[in-house]
Amino acid sequence: MEFIIVISLFPVAALIAMIAKRRSVIECASISAALFVCIASITVALKVASSGDYAPSRFFIIDALGALVMLIISCVGCAAVAYSIQYLRKETAKKIIGFTRVKQYFILLNLFLSAMLLAVSTSNPIFAWISIEATTLSTAFLISFYNKPSAMEAAWKYLIINSIGLLLGFFGTLLYFTASKIESGAGLATWHDLLSHAARLDPMIVQIAFIFILIGYGTKVGFAPMHTWLPDAHSKAPAPISALLSGVLLNVALLVVLRFKVITDAAIGSDFSQKLFIAFGLLSILVSALIMLTQKNYKRLLAYSSIENMGITALGFGFGGLGIFAAILHMLYHALVKSALFLTAGNIFLTYGSTKIANVKGVLRVLPITSVLFFAGIFIITGAPPFGIFLTKLFTFSAGILTHPAVTVIAVLLTTLVFIGLFKHATSMVFGDKPPEMQQKKEDTWLILPPLVLFVLALCIGFYQPQFLQILLHNAAVPF
Amino acid sequence: MNILSLQFLLGVVFLTIIFLHLIRKNFGAVIAYGIQSFATVLILFGFFFETKNVSLLLVIFVAFAIKVILAPIFFITLIQKHELTFLTSTYLSTPLTLIVLAVLTALAHSQKFLPLTTIVPAHHALLSLALSAIFISLFLIINRKEAVSQALGILSFENGIVVFAIFAGLEQSPILQIGIIFDIFVWIIIAAVFLSMIYRQFQSLDTSLMRHLKD
Repeated sequence: MEFIIVISLFPVAALIAMIAKRRSVIECASISAALFVCIASITVALKVASSGDYAPSRFFIIDALGALVMLIISCVGCAAVAYSIQYLRKETAKKIIGFTRVKQYFILLNLFLSAMLLAVSTSNPIFAWISIEATTLSTAFLISFYNKPSAMEAAWKYLIINSIGLLLGFFGTLLYFTASKIESGAGLATWHDLLSHAARLDPMIVQIAFIFILIGYGTKVGFAPMHTWLPDAHSKAPAPISALLSGVLLNVALLVVLRFKVITDAAIGSDFSQKLFIAFGLLSILVSALIMLTQKNYKRLLAYSSIENMGITALGFGFGGLGIFAAILHMLYHALVKSALFLTAGNIFLTYGSTKIANVKGVLRVLPITSVLFFAGIFIITGAPPFGIFLTKLFTFSAGILTHPAVTVIAVLLTTLVFIGLFKHATSMVFGDKPPEMQQKKEDTWLILPPLVLFVLALCIGFYQPQFLQILLHNAAVPF
Repeated sequence: MNILSLQFLLGVVFLTIIFLHLIRKNFGAVIAYGIQSFATVLILFGFFFETKNVSLLLVIFVAFAIKVILAPIFFITLIQKHELTFLTSTYLSTPLTLIVLAVLTALAHSQKFLPLTTIVPAHHALLSLALSAIFISLFLIINRKEAVSQALGILSFENGIVVFAIFAGLEQSPILQIGIIFDIFVWIIIAAVFLSMIYRQFQSLDTSLMRHLKD
């Protein structure tokens, strides 16, 4: 029952948004769907923690890592939907958008969330590909939502680059079927079938296939050098969509890469995939660290921070051992904190009407609560102690210093650059004199609450993890 | 279907992609894509005679309707609506483009990709040519400045993968194939809408004019 709720409520909400003539009906349907899906996802996660893999039918299976990513989708999704309601009302009040645009927004948002849930829960790699492609298709119009030339450019770039990436990923996926086709007949083979036939795969084919997978789905994850769509898309989309793209979608794509990593490791050992993960991870951190120092746009700054964090996660999986546990935990923290940061960035944008760092000064005086949340978020995301991301980075680098000392030292130096870059820009935005025309504003509770809840969740998990979460984290690390 | 017919059809797929690299008119490019899709559907049809899988007929019908009929109609309507007769230039000149095409084709036939092209040893030559089609489609997307060509490049890339999968025996169950084709159909609609929107914003489909987003 709970799984039916998880996969069916968002499409139903999209359908309601399609036919409804009143805004309140659309908002009510979307937020109700998000809340129920959130509760149902927690129920599914509890089941996975208590009884292992959860398979409601032969087309779906949720393992520990899948349950964790499902929790991320539903929690961040719930916050994003709640935030969207008030955010779009503000935009409507400013006459930036009308009812039709609001309608389109909620249809696509619900479809986007639904596609991500399908991608993490399906038992079939091809269906996972179809779902990931569906996320691209549903979000393209959300990125071009404001219909400006720059938004159009970002959306086209997103569509083309991700389509190329996903086709490469599709090609790589097909190559994994070379072993399973012999017995089960290709097509309906599940992740489990591919894993059980892994030993019979030609090692050379597996290597080529995994490279296609890593480049293909890695494009969606935002690994450098395939990351170029990410800062454009994240900076041009409405804030709640940026939060979902950055905090959730990257993890969904990474989950698919990780599923193939397990199969690849079973076929040819973990050395090959680990080396690739380290290479892409380090390159992602390098590119983002250098660009963040001179960044002029705060939404792009957060987008580059996502690339850096995906790089850290990749390093964790590449280093192995403790690094794997740290990487999974890092996915969780990053999703919550980065989504909250994008939502607070949305508050800043609503007030200042600009995403340029140079145009945003004295946020502390204009939006005190938002600025505190934004600054705290920056503090957490850089890996400052004593928060969770500090621990995950520490664990990752501890694992790395034993096996890859040179890479670890470079990564530590680069994360220092990231710290400097993020703080330099955040300080100039939060402190300093506010523009004379700006007055302190009464902040809207409904624009504060969603990011606040995400921050509180991240903080709570940083200091105390409930037992079911501990079990999920442990079990998620086992296949690697 | 005998091997010669398959070779001929694959040759058509390959040559249409080469043609897409060289053509300077949008209408011709769309027709070339239509022919390429028709050849792909015929290859799929040949596979039906081998397997006698009736549900594959549905896949063939859907693929024919979407790739051979609807996609070209969408693009031709768009071209006529905005009078987009000529394609804009490429990043590389024609001689350089031809050299890269030759290199990519040689790469697909090289020892490096032998594990892929010998998945079905009897289809070695066919798989090498299908892999070449994939590579040169990818290059088409990169080399062309114009949005219509990029969209056609993506669709050719997909055709190349489909043909490779057929010859390598990696085709999926009919239900999944229909899912994939439906995805492609939605992609075509979205791409067509975007092309219209881009033209309205920029008065051109030259993507090299899009320079709003920089770090």
